[in-house]
Amino acid sequence: MAFQMYMVAFNGDFSQAVSRDVQHHIRKHNGVTLMVMKTGIIGAFDDSMVPFVQAHPSVKLVGGVTLSPNGYAADRLQRIFAENLAKQIQVKPQ
Amino acid sequence: MPNVGAELASVPFGKMIYDMASAIARSQIALDKASIELVKVLAGTTFDYVPDVVETLLPNPRQVKGANGAPLVDSNGDPVMITGVLVQTDVGDSFPLTLLQAGVNPTFYAFTNSQIEVKMSITSTQESSNTFSVGVSVTASADFLFASGSVSSHVNFTSANKYSYSVTGSSSMSTVLNPVPPPKNMMPRFFLVNAIDPTKVTISQS
Repeated sequence: MAFQMYMVAFNGDFSQAVSRDVQHHIRKHNGVTLMVMKTGIIGAFDDSMVPFVQAHPSVKLVGGVTLSPNGYAADRLQRIFAENLAKQIQVKPQ
Repeated sequence: MPNVGAELASVPFGKMIYDMASAIARSQIALDKASIELVKVLAGTTFDYVPDVVETLLPNPRQVKGANGAPLVDSNGDPVMITGVLVQTDVGDSFPLTLLQAGVNPTFYAFTNSQIEVKMSITSTQESSNTFSVGVSVTASADFLFASGSVSSHVNFTSANKYSYSVTGSSSMSTVLNPVPPPKNMMPRFFLVNAIDPTKVTISQS
């Protein structure tokens, strides 16, 4: 239906291996990672992929999020998201 | 004869509406719980936020170097200087900021439009046919002393009645789920107290 932003929260304690594995899992389902934190990942993927991302054993919950322009660091987060997104997508000439 | 009114009355509309409303209510509760859980995750996720970086441009005059790296002087023997710039960077102390404070809000969903559609088709056909046939045959014969004759007749009557009655029905239910702004009661309020001037308190809510 639509490509949306999601918070993918980890199950249990943070580890690099778990974080990387979940990022690969999101990528496998045509998603992108926008920001990585200790408790989870902010990613973007099609909402039809939510059950598949949720099915990962290290994922506790997947919930839709939006970026409020009134947030204290919304503009900075937006820039971080854009920079990370640019590293993951390929623009092909038509 | 089929009673269309009775057939329609037998459709359990009340139960269908109740079941659908009940399912929507259960789903809404589950969605709200998930969103509230997400509020907790976002409120508990912090990152180090650097509030500001101050870059100061300072003069940095230096003498231009000539051949072999020797300091260059002009015809009067004065050193040839360039202004030069030195950038001094002062990174402010970072502090932990939650994703919720930073501006990441959970998405809440609401069912906005629900429809129940019932289609019913009632077909009733009745056919009857009757056939009636009558036949009469007469034979007569005469001989030298006798004469005889016979008359025979037959009646055929066929009656056929066909009666068929069928009711087919289908129902469909649909509902629309839309993202909505976070309900005020479910989102925390942020109180920003300015320690320099404590009378200035800003209250905000996502």
